[in-house]
Amino acid sequence: MKKIIALLLVLAMLPCAAAFADTAEPGLLRTAVLYDISTMDVSETTDDYLIPLNVFDRLFETKPGDGSSEIVKSLVTDYSISDDGLTYAFTLRDGVVFSNGSELTASDVQFSFERLLKAAKENTEIPLEILGGEAVMNGEADTLAGFQVTDDTHFSVTLTAPNAGFLAELSAPAMSIADAETMSPGFGKEPAETIGTGPYIVTEWVSNDHYTLVYNEKYWGAEPSVKKLVVKVIPDAMSQNLMFQNGELDIIDLQSLDSAIVASTYKADPAARIVGTPKVGMVYLIMNENNPWLKDVRVRKAIAMAIDTDQIIQGIFMGDAMREKGIIPTGIWAHNDALEGFSYDPDAAKALLREAGYQEGEISFELSMDSVANTSNQLIYAFVSDSLKKIGIEASVVSYDHAAWLAKRSSGETDAFVANWGMDYNDPANIMYTFFGSAENAKARSLNYPDAEIIARVSAARAIVDDEARLEEYQALEKKLIAEDAAWVPFCVTLHLWCLGERVDTFTPHWAGFADFYAADVVLK
Amino acid sequence: MRRSIAQRFAQALIVLTGVVLITFVMLRIVPGNPIETMMGEHADAATVARMTAELGLDQPLYRQFLRYIAAAVSGDFGTSYSLGKPVSQLIRSAFVNTLILALFAALFAWTLGIACGLVCAVGKNRLPDRLFMGFSLLGISLPVFMAAMFLQYLFAFKLKSFPISGTDSWRGFVLPAVALGWNSAGQVAQMTRSSLLEALEEDYIETARAKGLGRFGVLMRHALRNAMLPVLTMMTVQFSSLLSGAVITETVFSINGVGRLMVQAIAGRDIPLLQGTSLLATSVVILGSLLADCLYAVLDPRIRKEG
Amino acid sequence: MPGRKRERLENAADLRLQSQLGEEERFWDLMRRMARENKTAVFSFVLIVLMVLAAVLAPFLTPYDENSMDLLHRLSAPSAAHLLGTDEGGRDELTRLLYGARVSLLIGVVPALLSLLLGSLLGVIAGYRGGIVDTLIMRTADVTLAFPSMLLAMVIMYSLGGGIVNVFLTLTLVSWANVARVVRAQTLKLKNSEFVEAARVIGVSKDKIMRRHILPNCLPTLLVLFTLNIPASILTESSLSFLGLGIQPPNASWGLMINTGRQYLYSAPWLCFAPGAAIMLIVLAFNFLGNGLLDVLDPRQKKQ
Repeated sequence: MKKIIALLLVLAMLPCAAAFADTAEPGLLRTAVLYDISTMDVSETTDDYLIPLNVFDRLFETKPGDGSSEIVKSLVTDYSISDDGLTYAFTLRDGVVFSNGSELTASDVQFSFERLLKAAKENTEIPLEILGGEAVMNGEADTLAGFQVTDDTHFSVTLTAPNAGFLAELSAPAMSIADAETMSPGFGKEPAETIGTGPYIVTEWVSNDHYTLVYNEKYWGAEPSVKKLVVKVIPDAMSQNLMFQNGELDIIDLQSLDSAIVASTYKADPAARIVGTPKVGMVYLIMNENNPWLKDVRVRKAIAMAIDTDQIIQGIFMGDAMREKGIIPTGIWAHNDALEGFSYDPDAAKALLREAGYQEGEISFELSMDSVANTSNQLIYAFVSDSLKKIGIEASVVSYDHAAWLAKRSSGETDAFVANWGMDYNDPANIMYTFFGSAENAKARSLNYPDAEIIARVSAARAIVDDEARLEEYQALEKKLIAEDAAWVPFCVTLHLWCLGERVDTFTPHWAGFADFYAADVVLK
Repeated sequence: MRRSIAQRFAQALIVLTGVVLITFVMLRIVPGNPIETMMGEHADAATVARMTAELGLDQPLYRQFLRYIAAAVSGDFGTSYSLGKPVSQLIRSAFVNTLILALFAALFAWTLGIACGLVCAVGKNRLPDRLFMGFSLLGISLPVFMAAMFLQYLFAFKLKSFPISGTDSWRGFVLPAVALGWNSAGQVAQMTRSSLLEALEEDYIETARAKGLGRFGVLMRHALRNAMLPVLTMMTVQFSSLLSGAVITETVFSINGVGRLMVQAIAGRDIPLLQGTSLLATSVVILGSLLADCLYAVLDPRIRKEG
Repeated sequence: MPGRKRERLENAADLRLQSQLGEEERFWDLMRRMARENKTAVFSFVLIVLMVLAAVLAPFLTPYDENSMDLLHRLSAPSAAHLLGTDEGGRDELTRLLYGARVSLLIGVVPALLSLLLGSLLGVIAGYRGGIVDTLIMRTADVTLAFPSMLLAMVIMYSLGGGIVNVFLTLTLVSWANVARVVRAQTLKLKNSEFVEAARVIGVSKDKIMRRHILPNCLPTLLVLFTLNIPASILTESSLSFLGLGIQPPNASWGLMINTGRQYLYSAPWLCFAPGAAIMLIVLAFNFLGNGLLDVLDPRQKKQ
């Protein structure tokens, strides 16, 4: 028996002695995500874009260029715009086939646009701009009145109103082109039935565990360096961090790690190759103008002056962020560099409050935090609360689970909160209209911005065809909203960082700093 | 004996029904429409109403319950809100991982626990005894997540003997299993030690010793067999605490198991998934204790005689 | 609770019953005996008292405010100014630990007390009334015990939402069933004892018998249960908070501190180890104390 015990003990120790080695086959790229995707179908999601980006193509793509992004032709080889800015004529690329061999035609494009409207779930905004979109969505019409198919490779699209950002919108992941002929009920759910023209095919999706993409032999473009992409679902940034350092991942998305760890683990290591791109968007503070205190513009201005954004940038983000002063973020074409925001001045903030007749501790409201907020956001909440306390405002942080938080915010009842907005496409309307474009939009963000005239102007600005005039109008509106109304407090745009493993040569992030990226743009060693 | 087992079986069935009922009601008294949560920010009223009707969420609770039971009996546990797949399919792949993990953990806990208990009993109050017993108390007081984090750091990160995460090979299960089994090992060790010592007090042991058998020999030949009875029953019951611990270990080691699925279901307010996973977990525990009872009845001569 | 411990508890209660029926229990004598015989238990008791004091006197023990941030000195290593360093928001870790002790100790004590009240009440009623009431209560207890405790806690936390009051409720609902079982078993034994019989004969009401005779006789057992339920509650809460389901920020319990500290395990290990050690210490201390009490109450089986 003694021997048996000894044997068992030795057996138990044995595996510790053998070193663990994980070898990766050539052409394989391993990465990890925090959450599994819920679907591969853009009509059902506004978040899960990794598969749409890689398995499907769009008419255009937005690619990062020198300094800013540019819109490049993808499935389209030529286009023209009518003088009134309403009608776009397109020529499709010749000889493109889907991964199941079916040919790409103009009717596939029409089908893909109409599909979004008929599903009437997510991503209906862009096809709704097309003439007759509303009717298709309501079920009153079967086809888009504004979509004319001339022949297999030629078609034209007519909009309800001119929109200077339309081509940019066509490059959004939402506008992925699917095959009309072989569409089946399993589309978006079953890998084998999710067919696109893109560089990769989904071969496997084990829910909550991993999914695998492999190179599509029928792809029309150049053969990519990555032949196989394995995406593991690792719901915890800490484990991803360790896995990467152990060589179990080839790329790590550093976004959900605290910048302090990024600084101490990666930046301190001269061998670490870090790639970064601004996460085009904004970290901001919302103040609800239905709140009895926050409806006073003086209180909002005082709040804007009480928070030291530089500390957020240097302290929380360790310098991996850039100050933003307006609403339209850096990287979007209407961004205004010259905009004067509020600068940090707690004494002036205090004086402003006293002048308005508020006593120390009289103003109190709730900072509602989403329980899934990452560390950086949690710290911003705590910091905002702490900063406001110093000027005599009681802003207590209360945590809600994600669903409750969302419900409260959408019903317009949240006092104040901190959040991030990531841009979906390179057009100022994407942020201006979402927050200030209608009374409903302003309510859904718990802003409840009251100025109907400004709201009408924000909505109208989308349709200005002349770029110059449009820029002028957006910047004027932004100035009014920020400098006069202090309608929200902008903090910063953060850098989205990745670290590359030994096997990766170059990595190009998505132009808007999405976590999702084009695997075909990655070059392996 | 057969009657008592049948009785226990009926009892288990009642408990299981109670579990389903309680979770069902508990998960549905949560305020808010789960459909709105599921659809996120872009939900419009018409779609929400349509989906609510489709899933039968507008019907009275008792009818929803009957509907759930009827579907569940035929193996349909609904569709996960957050992951968009049938719950049964999600659970199936996760359960395999949890089962392997639990078996590895049990194997570790029982080998180590019984071995330590034996050593302690043989050398009662000597140094190894005190050392092991102190260690086992430490094992019981150490939160599972601390053990898991420590093991991950030392053996996966520093020594690189095992992967940080991964279920592709058996290696990936070793560290989580040790972290999970640690707690139980302490309990098994204590139990083995005390029941062995108890058995040693019995008369027949005295007789055996009088016949000239050494302490170790006595222990092996006679005491161990009798002492194993309570230990064995405890093992089956321990499956319950292993499942509790699996929630933590699967989270730390990022293993796609039932425990992690449950954590995700909660985060995503995914009622069908949460209902399915908790139903599975409790069924396993109820089955485990049923098994323990049967085992006890079969092994314990006293009960056998009564039957 | 492992079956064995429950068995010993019931034994202990039997002994009490045999030795003291009629005669007044001298509680302090027992405690004195424990103090003499079991140094570990005494040491644990002192440790617990010290921890409680530290939690209560936190504002006087540290010059820092628990929520005051210093973003430019995040995650600084332990130093003379910050004995345990600073956390991810530049807050003094020792201060957080002291204030966290308040939450963690409350989470140990309040649910243990509540489950004791609820469990003994239901246990006595089930045992004394018998019949359908008994069946109903004990089947509910069976259902509760059929859940792995962590999973049950998770489901309840889901229904109630996070926050300290809900953690109290959850932990109470998780642990009452064990108490009810033990108390019921004893009630059944007491029910047929001579003095209860005598009380019944002279016409004392059922409620009064339960209150006057049965519950007081369960007290020593309940004390042990209480002591052992405290570390169990603390451990369950720390696991819940570790998963992000328990205490919600900006409140902090030790479990939650480990949860947030976890991602700094390799760059600022003190953020995990300090609260981790605190949890282990308090859990060990309560376990030692509980075992000490058990030994005193059930001397027959005192650690061989």
